Amino acid sequence: MKLLAKTNAYYITFSVVAFIMLAIVFYIVTEFVIYEEVETRLKVERQDFEHYVAEQGVWEESCYFVENKIELATVRDTLAPIEVFKDTLFANRFDSEVVPFRQYSFYKVINRQPYKVSIRKSLIESNTLLTFITATMVVVLGIGLVSLYFLQRKISKKIWQPFYQSLANAKSFDISHGVGLNMPEEPIYEFQELNEVLEKMTNKITADYQNLKEFTENAAHEIQTPLALINSRVEELIQGKNFTDQQMYWVEEIHKSTLRLSKLHHGLLLLSKIENGQFYEHEHVNISLLAKNKFNDYQEVFEHKELETNFIENGKFIAEMNPALADILITNLLNNAVKHNVAKGSLHLEIFSNTLVISNTGASLKFPPEKLFERFKKQNQSSASLGLGLAIVKKICTYYDFDVSYEIKDNCHIVSIVDPGAE
Amino acid sequence: MITEFKTYICNSSEYVANVKILVVEDEKGLAESIAEYLSKENFVVEIVHEYEAAHEKISLYNYDCTIVDLNLPDGTGFDIVAYVKQKSVSTGIIIISARNAVEDKIKGLEIGSDDYLTKPFHLSELNARIKSLIRRRHFGGNNEMSYKEIRINLNSRRVFVNDQETILSRKEYDLLMYFVSNIEVVLTKSAIAEHLYGDNIDTADSFDMLYSHIKNLRKKLTEKGGNDYIQSIYGIGYKFGMG
Repeated sequence: MKLLAKTNAYYITFSVVAFIMLAIVFYIVTEFVIYEEVETRLKVERQDFEHYVAEQGVWEESCYFVENKIELATVRDTLAPIEVFKDTLFANRFDSEVVPFRQYSFYKVINRQPYKVSIRKSLIESNTLLTFITATMVVVLGIGLVSLYFLQRKISKKIWQPFYQSLANAKSFDISHGVGLNMPEEPIYEFQELNEVLEKMTNKITADYQNLKEFTENAAHEIQTPLALINSRVEELIQGKNFTDQQMYWVEEIHKSTLRLSKLHHGLLLLSKIENGQFYEHEHVNISLLAKNKFNDYQEVFEHKELETNFIENGKFIAEMNPALADILITNLLNNAVKHNVAKGSLHLEIFSNTLVISNTGASLKFPPEKLFERFKKQNQSSASLGLGLAIVKKICTYYDFDVSYEIKDNCHIVSIVDPGAE
Repeated sequence: MITEFKTYICNSSEYVANVKILVVEDEKGLAESIAEYLSKENFVVEIVHEYEAAHEKISLYNYDCTIVDLNLPDGTGFDIVAYVKQKSVSTGIIIISARNAVEDKIKGLEIGSDDYLTKPFHLSELNARIKSLIRRRHFGGNNEMSYKEIRINLNSRRVFVNDQETILSRKEYDLLMYFVSNIEVVLTKSAIAEHLYGDNIDTADSFDMLYSHIKNLRKKLTEKGGNDYIQSIYGIGYKFGMG
């Protein structure tokens, strides 16, 4: 819900409630005032009536009023003298229309005969008055509230404008540009503060990110350069003809170890780069297609190891991720499935719309298979494998919130990756 | 008898005699090692260790190929690539860098470099890439190369031994190309395997596959009456040449 919509909703709810309450209160107050007025007049009429009775000794109905406004009814006793006001309806004498009256009842003894006297006054004019006054008030109040609503909306929009500007700026912030946000000066204190905080924060983030990036780059440079030197010197060394087989073997060992060290370092750097979020560029990657191409690239290896393979595509798996990482993910999975396969074993790769399942035959494990996702965890610690492939797979999956699992069923190793975000 | 065979462009001294290469690399040992290796191929190699010196060299001379390290003490290799391109479009550029980042590779290719090698690399690989680059630059790929009785048509990727065609698989062709780019050089198994398969495939498997490719290539070349130029070097790898 938008901020303006929210404040508007509050405003509308509040004003509707206030409007209704005000209308009710106003109605009640007006009604009360009118009744007070009518009742005062009824009391005056009672005085007139009593004055008349005291002077004349009798009450003549016809002599006094045109309308049947004072009515006398004989009662037996006056034990419970009452004096009461009440609303009542009477039919109009001429057109039998029912009209509201206010009635004032009291007891009066005339010539030793007790009577219940009811004086009535038509409320019709008062009711019209009440309706008009209330309606006018309701309309005026309504206009006031509506215009206040529009005014408030306009003001909110104007006041929150810098906030939306800051929000847009923050959204456009791209860590890879290497600079923090540059926010405009704002006259409103809170927004100025917000902008300052945003500026400070993005500058800090950018600086940290740059530091980290430089560190990994430098680490790569500082370590890979000497390794490159060792390797190239070894390559020159082996061109010599004066080595014994034993010495050649040593040299080859040095060569292999440096290559291994270099790969290891690349692997570890990759892990920390993923962790540091240095692969921020995402796009739609067609995993089905990528896996299919990789699968074809591996045909030679499959044939060499005499593996029975098949590739089943049950759906199009599109993931939102970095293409380089997608490549590494699939390569590592295939490598793992080939490397730890048995001779004449099998390898299956199955793709669903949001799942990739790779299964291969292999030796049984001495520990829970999930442990293979740890760095340097290998079935056989002395194997030539670096022990980073699955750790990188796991790291990539964690980075993108993919679910990854490793299970073993009847000597079949199954790694499945599910992207809950893909439809 | 050797002189009877046609020699269009061969990996011999007369073909590369005039090829000038500039190596921009701050690690002195590595620069030296590259220079020594390439000099054996009869390239004329010059070395500079700093950005400023590289700038000066490039402004004064024309090189056929420039090898540039991205991390320099007083500048970035990208600027050198840009400067070389601005000065002479025909110069080939190979970036060598310890950074294995895809963005760097893309950026390098975007601003005009022809190739990107990640450190550590095999000198034989660098050599093969320089040669392929120079062939592409000078002959537009429309050329043949030969070694003794073996003739390779680079356009059609066809190989002839004693003027008889021998059909090679893709990997066997790549292997032969790698060999003829590195004549009389001891090549390690890992260098060849990496050239053929990239560095993703497990070494044990790739060595086995390499072995069978070498066996097949050797067979296909000798079948057509060619000499066996592929020599196994115990424990290390292979060498292509007369010995």
